[in-house]
Amino acid sequence: MAVPVSQAWTVASYVLKQKIKGRKRYPLVLMLEPLFRCNLACAGCGKIQYPAHILKSDLSPEECFRAVEECGAPMVSIPGGEPLLHPKMPEIVAGLVARNKYVYMCTNALLLKEKLHLFKPSKYLSFSVHVDGEREHHDFSVCREGGYDIAMEGIRAAVAAGFRVTTNTTLFDGADPNSVRRHFDQLMAAGVESMMVSPGYTYDKAPDQNHFLGKAKSRRLFRAILSNRKKTWQFNTHPLFSEFLMGKRNFECTPWGMPTFSIFGWQKPCYLLQDGYADTFQELMETTEWENYGAKSGNPRCANCMVHSGHEASAVDYNFSSLKGFLVTASKYMFPSTYPDPDAQKLLNEWKPEHATPLVQIQSSASDNELQTVSGD
Amino acid sequence: MATEQQEHLKIEQLRQHSADEIETIAGREKENLEGWIPSLATDTEIREALEKAFDYRGDITITLKDGAKVEGYLFDRRSGSSLKDSFARVLPTNDRTKVNVAYSDIAALAFSGRDAAAGKTFEAWVKKYWEKKAAGEKNIQIEPEKLD
Ligand code: SF4
Repeated sequence: MAVPVSQAWTVASYVLKQKIKGRKRYPLVLMLEPLFRCNLACAGCGKIQYPAHILKSDLSPEECFRAVEECGAPMVSIPGGEPLLHPKMPEIVAGLVARNKYVYMCTNALLLKEKLHLFKPSKYLSFSVHVDGEREHHDFSVCREGGYDIAMEGIRAAVAAGFRVTTNTTLFDGADPNSVRRHFDQLMAAGVESMMVSPGYTYDKAPDQNHFLGKAKSRRLFRAILSNRKKTWQFNTHPLFSEFLMGKRNFECTPWGMPTFSIFGWQKPCYLLQDGYADTFQELMETTEWENYGAKSGNPRCANCMVHSGHEASAVDYNFSSLKGFLVTASKYMFPSTYPDPDAQKLLNEWKPEHATPLVQIQSSASDNELQTVSGD
Repeated sequence: MATEQQEHLKIEQLRQHSADEIETIAGREKENLEGWIPSLATDTEIREALEKAFDYRGDITITLKDGAKVEGYLFDRRSGSSLKDSFARVLPTNDRTKVNVAYSDIAALAFSGRDAAAGKTFEAWVKKYWEKKAAGEKNIQIEPEKLD
């Protein structure tokens, strides 16, 4: 089980309650952005591109708690910016834990080791460390040499101090599935509880506008990465979301499943698109024209989106929408598959970098000719 | 809200192919808006200029018809049926209190602040990285901007 039983139970009973109440749209994870400033300046991130007075602003703990209560979701993810730069982050996290919310504090871990003592291990708290791949890939993607080593040191320190530690890997065009698989081995060896992997997105405000994966390539990439998986790998994404990434099933977007709150208010419609802001959660739910979003809507900005924040809630909703959905999901949890797939292995063995950009000149730690074999252990 | 013009590469691509078959999706064209003072002669020009201001990653300065100025980050706009019930929403430079300005009260608009997104392409990073590497530099990185 990639998440503690108590967490799975809390989420399941929350969703069931929403279903019994007949709520068509309900939030699952609040994406709480208490600040936008960061100690990295990744070329793939549009979250930090604001004037200085915006980057210097923080949500107060009271504003965070109010948002959490308004929203009511059982899980709170704290992206940013870098949350560890917020002077009151320990107070915010403690307040959320006291409210029995399952908190995923997303961090680049540059400050994790030195700030660990400000937090208390709890089943409600997980540090979700952003690591984008093996050393060279991560350093290149966060635009800082040495970033990987510091992040891994932070992970090891947090694991040793008894914290729950998960990871988050975002893949862009040019990603090498063999390297990503080695990366998973390294993360599990460092003692992380579970991992998340998601495709990047043609994020409107991102400075990098040319390295986005289309759907066809995303599916191929994730099929190569997630098929023939090792039993040692633990993922904290829903098994059906993983199948969605591998192209084995389709889900429409559920943008209200993971609503975002920041100093601007409640972001319409989702974590990625900024079509405006509502002042209250209720206003967000009532005034957003939800039918204009998701692949089916024909909105070009949603055309290639397969991201976790838009689609994992769809997988969770599917569980609870029919007996078939429930049985399918239950069987995935009880008898986890390694997704044996000889064609995917062939894909992996024959994978060639496609772009003549310097990005693909980055050497991985293993030899380039060393092909990964499937052990399925 | 990205305008059609900004999204046109993607829209063109989607006209030719189904989104499910596309390998690499087109990005968008970024306009250089820093320093721009749009003409606000017609309702359409006003609405278009505020749409672009919403997309802009720097501060703007709005001059009201009574001569007052609002300077800050335009984080939202609400488009109603008339200019009177359409609003620009600004976080002022020195305050966290959101200010609502009716489109009908706006006399002038200037893209006065530096565009925080300008020049920060992935390509620029790749170029810088390889130049520094070739020069034998170690610990190559992009430093976040100083905020003080
Ligand atoms: S598909 Fe959903 S999550 Fe993706 S950009 Fe559109 S609304 Fe947002």
